[in-house]
Amino acid sequence: MSVRFAIDLAVPCEHFEVAVEWRSERRALGLFGPSGAGKTTLLEALAGLRRGVRGRIEVGGRVWLDSTRGIRLPPERRGVGYVPQEGLLFPHLDVLGNLRLGAARAGAGERRLVPERVLEVLELAPLARRPARELSGGERQRVALARALCSSPGLLLLDEPLASLDLPLRRRILPHLLRVREEFGIPTLHVSHDAAEATLLCEEICVLERGRVVARGAPGEVLTDPERSAALDGGGVNLLEGRVTAIAESLARLELEPGLVIEVADEGGLEPGRRAAFELRASDILLALGRPPGLSAQNVLPATVEAVHLPGAGEPHAPARVTARLGAGSRRIVVAVSPRACRELALAPAAPIHLVFKAQGCRLVASF
Amino acid sequence: MSEAASTALLLSARVAFWATLAILPPGIALGWLLARREVPGKALIETLTALPLVLPPTAVGYLLLRLLARDGPLGARTLGFDLDLLLTWKGAVLAAAVMALPLVVRTARVAFEEVDPRLEGMARTLGLGPVATFGRVTLPLARRGLAAAAVLGFSRALGEFGATIIVAGNIPGRTQTLALAIFSDMQVGRDREAMALVGVTVALAFAALWLVESLLRKGRARR
Repeated sequence: MSVRFAIDLAVPCEHFEVAVEWRSERRALGLFGPSGAGKTTLLEALAGLRRGVRGRIEVGGRVWLDSTRGIRLPPERRGVGYVPQEGLLFPHLDVLGNLRLGAARAGAGERRLVPERVLEVLELAPLARRPARELSGGERQRVALARALCSSPGLLLLDEPLASLDLPLRRRILPHLLRVREEFGIPTLHVSHDAAEATLLCEEICVLERGRVVARGAPGEVLTDPERSAALDGGGVNLLEGRVTAIAESLARLELEPGLVIEVADEGGLEPGRRAAFELRASDILLALGRPPGLSAQNVLPATVEAVHLPGAGEPHAPARVTARLGAGSRRIVVAVSPRACRELALAPAAPIHLVFKAQGCRLVASF
Repeated sequence: MSEAASTALLLSARVAFWATLAILPPGIALGWLLARREVPGKALIETLTALPLVLPPTAVGYLLLRLLARDGPLGARTLGFDLDLLLTWKGAVLAAAVMALPLVVRTARVAFEEVDPRLEGMARTLGLGPVATFGRVTLPLARRGLAAAAVLGFSRALGEFGATIIVAGNIPGRTQTLALAIFSDMQVGRDREAMALVGVTVALAFAALWLVESLLRKGRARR
């Protein structure tokens, strides 16, 4: 059986060396970490655009690089679909011209994705004849993605495709990324520094810090890990994904799993029957020992404390992080509270607890 | 315009055309090399290609003359046959080409440097080899700068005097270009004829520079 993705690399870059060892059979991989951690450097090494890379890359059973055996495939023979942060569209061509140049590799016989089909899936058909330099930011990103898809890649490399976009635009493009995953089934390595985005799009993530792997696993677990979550916005980020079952009075009911329903604010863009994902920051959740009476917050969910992580001596300004299991227990939620609250509530593993949060505290990531 | 003047103009145009055609391929190749590659001796290549820009044209002409003289390295006796360049219009093409090369190389180099190398890397990941990438991405993106290089080279060749008079002589009707004709007219006091020729050269130079400027300006606006 062929290995889907196996790398063991050392990539020299400006201030340090990026060294990553990673082996996975998953299709949707994520590379997560703060800016300057070496994520883009690693992507460029995978695409074959970096010099001085040592180690081994094997993707889909093909060896792209093996410096001990002197194997080093040039970028044009690796078959990657690279979508860089800036899009890097060819400014002398129109949208279709960019896509056709991308389709140059895929021979007529083995070509799986025709530009016309890709244009349709990414809702770009009306822009086909638009010169690349006249596109808006969101359009550029979609065209760059379309161009990469047209080359029928064996591995898609997405470098923060949403980072340069504002929130409404992100919400519009994210469903396209999900759709691409479902429609074309291409193995993808998605670089992100947004926890909610990574959790929604990836099956397995690798957390990079200053060129080193510091964690790896399912994003819902890794990114709510109390050991790590202090570094994230708001002391950690929870992704709540489910199906919208009803909308009334600017509130929507989101069914996370049978019997587990939360109320979220409806600011438009939600539709009953469709799926949606919301981001809930660890610092936006309250803990209560019992069910508090007379509360404006719409969500009070029973849960079980899993672990309590008090800030260490090295992190004097960090909150305490409490993780709790929701519903059937498959869903981990991370909550940031003060160390004093931890003591006063006598929080300990296995203690029953209630999670309290406002409907407005849930920020829409995408509806799809 | 007198017959002699139009003959000189036509000859100048013919010389400049062939000179430009001859130096474009090596000029573009050198420009690309200097813009994109780290080769040993790069500084030397840079200096050598710039030399005709700063040497007195008569010095360059004299070097060419010695090169092509019967006993020179490219002379009839050394090669065993005659290249037949001295005192012919082809000699004028050679002199103009050598004198115009530095401008073409420099302008082409800037044209290539303004192409984002990441776009070339992008094309490679999409499956284009180095040659296809050059043809489908680099060249089209540099095309305005390269066109400007050609026009500049043509204009420089059109006005060449010092090297030309040494290599090709100043034979009316055969090697007497516009620049040489102005000199001859002035020497024998035909001021009206000289002034008319000067007018022609001013008009040509003006048109060429205006074209170069607009090519480069539009090229920048596109980025």
